[in-house]
Amino acid sequence: METITPQHFLILAFLLFGVGFLGVVIRRNLLLVLMSLELMLNGVNVALVTFSRTGQNLDGSLFVFFIMTVAAAEVAVGLALLVALYKKRRSIFSEDAGLLQN
Amino acid sequence: MPACYRTNRMESVILSVLLLPLLSSLVTLLFLRNRGNVAALLSVATAGGILVFSLYLIFATGDGMYAWEMSWLTLAGWELKLGFLIDGSARLLLFVVSFVGFLIHVFSLGYMHDDDAKARYFGGLSIFMFSMLGITLADNLIIIFVFWELVGFSSYLLIAHYFSTKEAAEASKKAFIVNRVGDFGFLIGIVLTYWTFQTVNIQELKALVDFDPNLISTTLCLALACGFIGKSAQFPLHVWLPDAMAGPTPVSALIHAATMVAAGIYLLFRIDFLFTGDALTLLAFLGAAMGLFAGFCALGQSDIKKILAYSTLSQLGYMAAAFGLGMPGIALFHLMTHAFFKALMFLGSGSVIHACHHEQDIFKYGGLRQKMPITALTFLVGVLAISGVNFLSGYFSKDAILLGAYNENMIIFVLLYAGALLTSLYMFRLYFLTFEGQPRSNNSKKAHESSALMTGPLIVLAFLSIVGGYHSLYPTSISGVLLPDIERVAAMPNHLWMIVLGTGAWIVGSLTAKYLYGRGGENEPLLTRFPAFYDLCKSKLFFDEIYGFYVSKIQDPFARFIEVMELLFISGLMVRGSAGISGLFALLGKACYVGKIHAYSFWFILGTIGFLAYAVGLFGN
Repeated sequence: METITPQHFLILAFLLFGVGFLGVVIRRNLLLVLMSLELMLNGVNVALVTFSRTGQNLDGSLFVFFIMTVAAAEVAVGLALLVALYKKRRSIFSEDAGLLQN
Repeated sequence: MPACYRTNRMESVILSVLLLPLLSSLVTLLFLRNRGNVAALLSVATAGGILVFSLYLIFATGDGMYAWEMSWLTLAGWELKLGFLIDGSARLLLFVVSFVGFLIHVFSLGYMHDDDAKARYFGGLSIFMFSMLGITLADNLIIIFVFWELVGFSSYLLIAHYFSTKEAAEASKKAFIVNRVGDFGFLIGIVLTYWTFQTVNIQELKALVDFDPNLISTTLCLALACGFIGKSAQFPLHVWLPDAMAGPTPVSALIHAATMVAAGIYLLFRIDFLFTGDALTLLAFLGAAMGLFAGFCALGQSDIKKILAYSTLSQLGYMAAAFGLGMPGIALFHLMTHAFFKALMFLGSGSVIHACHHEQDIFKYGGLRQKMPITALTFLVGVLAISGVNFLSGYFSKDAILLGAYNENMIIFVLLYAGALLTSLYMFRLYFLTFEGQPRSNNSKKAHESSALMTGPLIVLAFLSIVGGYHSLYPTSISGVLLPDIERVAAMPNHLWMIVLGTGAWIVGSLTAKYLYGRGGENEPLLTRFPAFYDLCKSKLFFDEIYGFYVSKIQDPFARFIEVMELLFISGLMVRGSAGISGLFALLGKACYVGKIHAYSFWFILGTIGFLAYAVGLFGN
């Protein structure tokens, strides 16, 4: 049986980040885009925790706390923006928010 | 500072002479454009003021020399000075310009009294006086060049006075452009002078040449002589002067006979120490050839002013020949007497033209002596003077030139002597056809004598044309500069022989004219008797055609070639090319600007990844 090494955690973090990135780029629903962003942040968090663990210090964990805080605030702002957008446009699809497009 | 009170007064008089006409033309331009009569009086008063100040300058400087200069421009250690030099030659020209100029201003009052654009005309005259006085007084070549261009400009302005006629509009352009050609050579000459001597001040140049006579070169003085050739309308740039007769007649008298065209001779006189023997010989031959050639041209013309224009060319040729023979004083002497009798004849022709309702064809005149006795008599004095009739003004200056040529260079003498014969022939032709016989058109039947404003200047000039040749009558402050050369010529042999020859020339010329034209006539007798000869005279040796051919067949295609090159390389490659390159970058940037949030976040993250890749050294170091 193979043991779980930090590389595995890093691969997981990379996958999470990649899934989130694809979501941000591909999804039309802005709510899902926002969720994908969270996924990317969490991917980063996993990587940081891994580094903190292998490096035997708390620097990475400390960063994770900050990121989670900022992410919470960001989600609050993002959701509020989305609600406002929906009120104005009756849609939360990105192509409907294309006022600057060409 | 009371210590230099006297010097200050001289300076302020010089500056007033110079600035008075400029001020007058400025006032005319700004305030009097629609008030022609006021402008005319202002301009004439200015000319009077110039005369008074000039006479003061002439007598205050006596026989000496007065030089004054101030700094005008300083560029990093290099300094251009604005200065005046009043010596004998300047005093003489100052006298001619201010005196003849004043008379012509007065004449203009009568001649232009019913003109629509009086203000423009008199403003132009004032500008001309300003520029001409500038040439007279300036003490260095660059300042002379500035005023040189200004007289060219005012000549352009005044030739184009009747700009609504095609003839005048084209003549003014022609005069301007042909003068540019000559002035370009002059400019090169000035640059060469500065290159060689490190100065353009006439006095300093003279001192340098006296110190080391090897500094002068034929190239340099011929380049400077280009200015003379253009302004004095000598071969090969003589084509503009006959056309310039499209301007008002007093302008022709002032600018194109008495003063501006003579400025070329004056320039030569001022820089004569720069000339080498070869250049002088060349100028002498050019001048003598011009004297003869213009005589033939004058014989083929029927426009009264064009005949006078060609006779001006011929007389300027005499002056150039005198200069080239090493007698600049005689050239200046002839300049002065010529200014008197040629201004007289031009003004006389102006009086005739005015009386005949702007008819200028001498075959349409006739019998004007009974109708305009004063004009006819004064004109006759001018004709006699220019033909060199004994003891009139032209006799002294012209015979001095002929005598000098006889003793120095036989070929030039023969050319000049043939020119003298022709001069009396075409001048008497003009006189007989205009004033004798019967009137040949309605205009000349109804002609009557002009007003006193016009005959007054004629009488004064006729008086000067009679006595102007007696150099001892002038104060020495004017004639002093002439004396060395006059004494040199007086000491030459063959005097009696020359008197016989000179008298013979005008008698033969006038008798031939009497025989051919004495009875008047509608047609040119030469046309029926010697048609080939007459056609050759009338063709003016095809100079206009040759220049026209050159312009249309060589210069214009070359200009078009340059234009294509310009379109290809400057307009195409450089301007459009650089615009195209930045346009390409703009296209690239525009492609990224799509307005989709997905695209932006994609580029953002790609950028971040690229940055990270760089940070961890994926691109090497």
